[in-house]
Formats: sequence, C-alpha cells, structure tokens
Amino acid sequence: MKVFSAIIVIFFSATVSAAELPSGDEVARRINARDEGEAVSRLLTMQMTDADGKTRIRKTKGFRKYYGAEKRTVIYYLEPRNIKGTAFLTYDYPEAGKDDDQWLYLPALRKVRRISASDRGDYFLGTDFTYEDIKLESRVSLNDYVRKTLGESEIDGFHCLLLESVPVNAEIAEELGYGRIEQWVDDSVWIVRAAKMWDVQGNPLKTVHFKDIRQVQGIWTQHELEVTNHKTGHRTRFVFSDVNYRDGVGDAVFTQNALKRGL
Amino acid sequence: MNTENVLSRRFFVSVTARPKTIVTIGILFIVLFAIWIPDLKKDTRADAFIPPNHPALQMRDRTKQLFGLEDPLVIAVINEGKYGIFNPHTLALVDWLTERVKRLPQIDPDRVTSLATENNIIGTDDGMLVEPFFEHPPTRQAQADRVEAAVMDFPLYLGSLVARNGQGTLIVAELKNPELAQQAYLSVLSLAEQAPVNQHEHLHIAGEGAVSGYMGAYIDADAVRLDPIAAIIISSICLLAFRTWRGMLLPNLVVLATAGGALGLMAACGVSFFVITNALPVVLIGIAVADSIHILSEYYQRVAEDPTANARTLVVDTMTEMWKPVTLTSLTTMAGFCGLSLASLMPPMRYFGLFAFVGVAVAWVYSLFVVPALLTLLKPRLSRAYPASRGVDDFGKMLTALGRVVIRFPKSIIAISSLVVIAGGIGATRIKLDENTIRVFDREEPLYIADGVLNRLFDGTYYLDILIETPAAEALFEPDNLRRIEALETFLSTLPHVGGSTSIVDYLKQMNRALNEGRADAYRLPESADLAAQYLLLYSASADPKDFEKEVDYDNRLANVRARLNDGRYSAKKMVIEATQNYIDRQFDALGIQARLSGRVNVDYHWIKRLGESHAVSVAISLALVWLMAVLSFRSATAGTLALLPVLVTILMIYSVMGFNDIWLSISSSMFAAIAIGLGVDFSIHTLERLHNLTRRKRQTIDQAILNLYPATGRALLFNFAALALGFGVLAISKVVILQDFGLLVAVAIATSFLCSMTLLPALVKVLRPRFFVAEETLAPLIKLSGERS
Repeated sequence: MKVFSAIIVIFFSATVSAAELPSGDEVARRINARDEGEAVSRLLTMQMTDADGKTRIRKTKGFRKYYGAEKRTVIYYLEPRNIKGTAFLTYDYPEAGKDDDQWLYLPALRKVRRISASDRGDYFLGTDFTYEDIKLESRVSLNDYVRKTLGESEIDGFHCLLLESVPVNAEIAEELGYGRIEQWVDDSVWIVRAAKMWDVQGNPLKTVHFKDIRQVQGIWTQHELEVTNHKTGHRTRFVFSDVNYRDGVGDAVFTQNALKRGL
Repeated sequence: MNTENVLSRRFFVSVTARPKTIVTIGILFIVLFAIWIPDLKKDTRADAFIPPNHPALQMRDRTKQLFGLEDPLVIAVINEGKYGIFNPHTLALVDWLTERVKRLPQIDPDRVTSLATENNIIGTDDGMLVEPFFEHPPTRQAQADRVEAAVMDFPLYLGSLVARNGQGTLIVAELKNPELAQQAYLSVLSLAEQAPVNQHEHLHIAGEGAVSGYMGAYIDADAVRLDPIAAIIISSICLLAFRTWRGMLLPNLVVLATAGGALGLMAACGVSFFVITNALPVVLIGIAVADSIHILSEYYQRVAEDPTANARTLVVDTMTEMWKPVTLTSLTTMAGFCGLSLASLMPPMRYFGLFAFVGVAVAWVYSLFVVPALLTLLKPRLSRAYPASRGVDDFGKMLTALGRVVIRFPKSIIAISSLVVIAGGIGATRIKLDENTIRVFDREEPLYIADGVLNRLFDGTYYLDILIETPAAEALFEPDNLRRIEALETFLSTLPHVGGSTSIVDYLKQMNRALNEGRADAYRLPESADLAAQYLLLYSASADPKDFEKEVDYDNRLANVRARLNDGRYSAKKMVIEATQNYIDRQFDALGIQARLSGRVNVDYHWIKRLGESHAVSVAISLALVWLMAVLSFRSATAGTLALLPVLVTILMIYSVMGFNDIWLSISSSMFAAIAIGLGVDFSIHTLERLHNLTRRKRQTIDQAILNLYPATGRALLFNFAALALGFGVLAISKVVILQDFGLLVAVAIATSFLCSMTLLPALVKVLRPRFFVAEETLAPLIKLSGERS
C-alpha cells in the first residue's frame, strides 16, 4: 500500500502533463501488439498462502498455443504426490457469447471429466487470479474497459505510464469482479509491471507485481507474478521457468486422450 | 455507660463537628463516581458468562479462527402454503433479501449464504457441473419445481439451508465486525419490514449475531424502565414511613452514592456491564435505604421523646444507638455478596457480587458519615409517623399484635417452621439443574419466537463443533480417517435433539456421486486419499474452493464436524455432549486422528455444569461468613447461630418452592441464595440486637422485651423489608426473564426472612431463654424459675 501511495505522490508531482502522453487506448493497443509467441511450454510453480501463513505449493508443466484468436491451454500437475498426473485442458473461444470448454483428468478415477465453464470473474484453481486474468496473460482486454492514461510513474526503477481502466458498465464490472484497475505499463517494452485492482464497491481488492521480466528467445516474458488479495489476506506467487517459445507444441497435446496419457 | 458507647459517642461528636465539610465531600464523591459512569461498556455476549481463559472457550475460539466461523445473522423465510418456499414469489423474495443484505454496510457481502448464492453439484453424463441453484429467480412454477427437485437431491443443504419439508429457507449473513451486531440487526429488521412479503410468507430474524445485536438495546430499554420505578417505589416507602421530605430525600442521597459508587467504580476498573448487571442498580437501591430507614426511625423516635432537643445531641444519641446494627447488617450483607463473588465461576456473577459488595460498603460509609452530618445541619422536626405523645401508629400497632401472637403460641411457630425445614429438605433433592440461554428473552419477543420456528423447521440453531485433527497435511483424506468422520456423523444422527450435521465428508460424497453420473448409490466416500484430493482440485476448477473453508483447513489436516441441536436446554446439550465425548473416547483413540468437542454448545455445557457446584459453594461461604460475623459481633455463638436460623428456614423454603414447582436451578435462581443470606440475616441481627439491649441494658424480662421489640424495631424492619422486597420485586417486571425469576425469588426470600425474624426468632428466644438475653444479676433466679416451670 505504501509503495502505491508513494507512487501516486510521484505521479501528482510529475511535471509532464497528461496531454502529451499516449492515450489509454493507444497504450492498450501497444501492449497487445507485443509478441507473445504462437506457442509456449513452461514449468510453473504455484505457491498459495492463506491469511494464517499456511502454504500450498503445486508444480505444473503447461502448454499454450494460439489457433488464430482461439487459445488452448493444458496444465499437468507434477507435485504434490496426491494430485500428480491431474491435468486441466481449456479451450478459450474468442466469441463473446460462447462458453469456454474445460476438461479435467483425474488419475485416481482414470477418467476425463468435463467441468462447467467458469465465469470470467471466478478464481482460477484456488489462486488469486481470475479466469479472465489467466486468459489474458500479459495482455489487456480491449472491449471491457474505458481507459485513460493518468500520467507517468516509476516502478522497480523502470519508467512507466500509469493506465487506468474502468469497466464500460456495471454489468461487466460485476462479471469481472473489478470496479477499477490501475496498471503500471513499462513504455519501453509495453509490458505491465504492476497493477492494482478495486472491487465493484470501490474497496482495494488486489495488488499484482510482475517481476523478473526478461527476454526469452526474443520475447519479453514475466517470470514471476505476485498477487495479494487485500480482502482475504490470501497470496499467490507464480514462478515460470524453462520457458520455451521456439520448439513449438504439437496439436495432439490439447486433446482429452493426451490428458489420459500424461506427460 | 460502657467503653464501646463512650468511644462511639466520641466518634459521632467529631463526625457532627464539621457537618458541612462532610456533606460537601460526600456530594463531591457522588459527582466523581458519576463522571466515570458514561465510560461503562456493555458486554451482552453469551461468551461473557464464561471466564475468557476457560479451555472450552479457547477451544471454541480456535475452531472459529481455523474455519472462519462467525456468529451470523439469520433471516428465515417461511412459507407454509401449498408449494412451500419453492414458488416464484418466495424464491424472488429470497433473491431480493440476499441482494439487499449484501449491500448493508455492516455485512460482509462475500459471506452471505442463501439459495440465491449457493451452488449445486450435479453429475452429468460426461462430467460434473457446479452451478447456482438459480441464476435469476424462476418466473414460472415449473421452474421453481425444478429448483425444489435440485435442492431436495442435495443432502448437504437439507435441514441446514432449507427446511426438510420445504417450508422454510435461510439467508445467513456474517458481520464484518461483531461490534456492529446492534446496527446490523436493526438494518436487517427494517429490510424485513420493506420486503415484498405476501400473505403466506413470514420472515423471522435469529442467530447468535441477532441475539447479541438485540441484547444491547434490550437491556438498555429495560434499565430505563426499571431504575426509575425502583426509585419511585423506594421514595414512596420512605415517605410513608417518615412522612417528611428529609425522610424521603436523605435515603435517596445514599441511594445515589451507592448505585453511583458501584457503577462508577465498575467503569473505572474497566469492568463491563453484563446482562445481569441490569439488576445491580435496582438491588442497590433497595439495600441502600435500609440503613437510613433504621437511623431515621431511631431519630424520629428520639425527636418525639424530646422535641426541643438540640440537633447535634439528637444525632449523636441516635448514631450511638444505631451504628452497631447498621454496621453489623452492612457487614453481613457484604459477606453474602462476597460468597457469591468468591464461589461463582462466571465473570458477570463474580462482578455482580463484588460491586454489590462495594455498593453496600459505600452505603455504610454514607450512613455513618453523611447522614448524621446532614441531620445535624437540619433543624429537628417531628414526624407525623412518630407523634410526640409516644403513641404508636397503625403499622406499629399491627406489629405489636403480631408480638402478642408470638408470646402466646411460640411452640406452634417453631413447629410450623420445622415443617418448612423438612419440606425444604425434600424439595432440595428434587431440584434440577437446567438453563436455556434463549430464556433471557420474553416469550413474546420476536427473537424468542424466531428461535422456536427455526428449531421446529430446521435441524437446529445450537451448534456443537467437533474438531478433527490428523498428524500431517493431507492426512485427513486417508480413507480410514474419512470413514471415522462418517461414522461419527452417523452416530450423531442417532442422538436425540441432534437435527443434522455437516462435514467435508458430505461434500466428498456429493462429488463422488456427481462424478459417477449422479447415481444415487455413488453417494459414498471416495476410495482413495488421492481421489479425495483430486476431487477438491476439481472443485477448485469449477467453483470457489473457499466453499469448504468452514469444513476443512487450508492444508487438509484439520476438519470441523458441525452438529446442529434443536433444543437450547442445558439438559439436552449435556446429554449430547456426554454421549459424543464417550463415543470419541472409544472411536478416536488412534494415533493418526483425534477429535475434540468445541462450539457454543460445548461452551454452554461447561459453564452451566458448574452452576450447581458454584451455587452450593456460594451458599456455604455466605453462611459461614455471615455466621462468623454474627458470632464475633454478638460475642456469642448462640446469638450468632440464632441469627442464622431464619435465613436457613428461608433458603429451605425457597428450595421447597423450586423443587415442588419444577423451577430449575439456573443462572437466575443460583444467585438468589447468597444474596438472600446476606440480606435476610439483617432482620435477625436487628431483632437480636434490640432484644439483647432491652433485656441486658434495660433489664426487661424476655416477654416485656419481645413486646417492646415490635412497635419500633419491628416497624423499622417492616419498612426495611418493604423497601427490599419491592426493590427486588421491580425486577419481576423486567423484560429480561432471568432477572424476573431472580427478583421474585429474592423477594420471597426476604419476606420469609422478615417473617421468621418477627416470629420464629422471638419464639425461640422465649422458649430457649439463652443466656445472651438474660440480665446477668437476674440470671440465676430466672434459670430456677424456668426449671420450675418445666
């Protein structure tokens, strides 16, 4: 919280007027224009900590591939032992009205089970990210928000633009679970370095910090994500490693049969 | 004149030397006490009745903290019409209330549970769906029927969220902060008033959150009603007794100091104002005037004897005569409260005893300093109640008639008293220990009614939590452990008063069923620990894993089994607790798993269990202290024992009333005895002290002394009794039912003590002729005389 108050102070004392800065929509366009790679494979450690400090660590291997605007993702659990082999497959469709398809493979049951499509504002697998956050990865949604560049700021020593996004209407706000978002966008590489979210009632909801941002095979990649939910005291830390954009991912990975076969 | 009198005379000569200073100091102290009173903090929680470090309370708090269990506010929507609550209108009402409750500033919107918020777990051909029972309230009956079918097929919510007969459903809302309970309850009440309810629908508001929310306002309203009534009654009695303004105002000054001193010191010490503290001012008002009544009686009698006497001489004479009985009775009353305070386990009772003790001490100090100082400043005036002709008024005549009866039939009086003692002994064996916490409220109160409706239609509003502990993270899901929990729940369901129970086992069974195409026979536990863990992961992919936070901890090591009881009586809780503890001792003996009782029901069981014990101890301590005090001050074991007799008869009399009328030994009735002892003995002391004076100092025969006892001391005791009995009697119109019982029992006890002191005690003195009441030089012939007579 203190960091953000300090940043806001810096922002207000900035000498450059907002009029000279790129518009909110322009910032969003630049973010989404950045290359994310057509396909990627990576290891992901999810560390979740509740308000009492109890921690769950889950290690996974994940694949993601774009089919035009459609996006397919699969996550295999490697640890802990009792969920090893559990796999989660998602097809995200670009059409607004079309529900995503999701399947889960339970090794103890030896069955793939279809599970109900999640709402965009639902939390993803017990983390502090919503399904929408996960779906967007490092991108931003163009249609859901009205944006404004509030000014310039700095985070982790990098120059940033402070971008404010407000849902276009109350219904979208309710669906996404956010009443307002502020993002610190590094305007040298057009990547988000930090974000702060408020709930629909205007209470501080979450703070996200993206760290260890570096190029992998020419693509700017966030390797560490830390999110704190201010209402529940719950925290999530994602650490990506072995990120590989180059070797490609076969289509067969994103099938129910592949889930059963495992890694 | 003996040395005691010389000393006391010297003392009151100096007290009356600077009356203005003493009165000023007295008034200053009242102001000082009054300044603190606004700092008093109310503590109306049920938890306040148990010491904060009690293991049962700590265990309950630990379970609460581990599983995020809060005392909720509950709105019950009842429809006893054809379709029950499963019709478009009622479901829309549930949705309407849920949405509005979420918007209340005191309510945590993320922790509101109702049919409009909860998810159904459904098995499909190829998977599992977790989805709300309805996204938007149904508009047609057919849709409402589908919701009904879904809910009735989901065992977890039956009895807990929805009545098993479909006639009621709950909206359970947790507060952001328990201190907001009062505002939250009022906000929900006004929501319920605005709600679009049709003629078949009824709303009830209940829950621990509502009880604590309402209690604060409830006792405030009660105090505002009771305290002025008590003050008016006491003032009227004083006016009737002395028929002068000073006769009415002087005791009221002592009342102000007493009640102000007790409450002001409570505030200054940071002690909270509990539910039963409401009785304290009323009780103190009655007690505080007693000393003044005796002092003023003596004063007016002396004015009547010599209307021209100088004010200061009059006061010194009065106080020299009266300081001893006033001091003695104050000490014995304090001893009674001391017994209550020492013996009770419950902080509200302990503090009640302690601050009543303080109040009595303040009353004593004011009676010995401020009252004589003030009387010195006032010009002596005759009271119409004590005419100069030494005549006796009607009250005095009435009591003198009673005296004649005593002199005539002493043995019959002793025989009747013996019968009361025997009946009391039998009654005492029939008394049952029981309590019901909802009994605080009047039967007409909406909360009381809501409690009845909820316990009739749902599984119950009284929670027994059982904390299950396994040695390592994820160990909870071992099939053996899950089976033990399942068996525990099956056992609980066989106990009377247990409506139902919920645990993670029920969710796992429902998921197992959903993942086996929804087959009813698959409503059973998963076969392996891995499968259980994978079910939870699956759930977290479909819905919010926080849905289980009340059942299982974050690393799947601890679980909570919540049993719901539909009977708030201690006797019901005791039965369930003891049976469950017994079961746990036998079935949870493995190293791998432990179970411990927790929750409100367990807390209630532990403190009420001690009521009987603390009652017996407080009676014993009070009797011993009072006896010791009486023996020391009379310097006679016989007189001390005699003083105790009317009190013993009184207590046994109350026991017989309780035993034969099925009145429980409860919070209210367990408090009566110590107070009745401390107050009741005052009558004996005044009686014995006067008889002693008349026989030993004025050398009257016992019969003469008994006859002379009534017009003055008897009359004063009558008004003393009236003030106390009516003061406690005011509690009978309290809206706090436990105070009603308490007030009535103490009033009956005081009446019995008064009557015994006026009948049994003189009768015993007449029959036994103890040495204490026989002038020394006439002792020998009298013994001879009595020997000849018999």
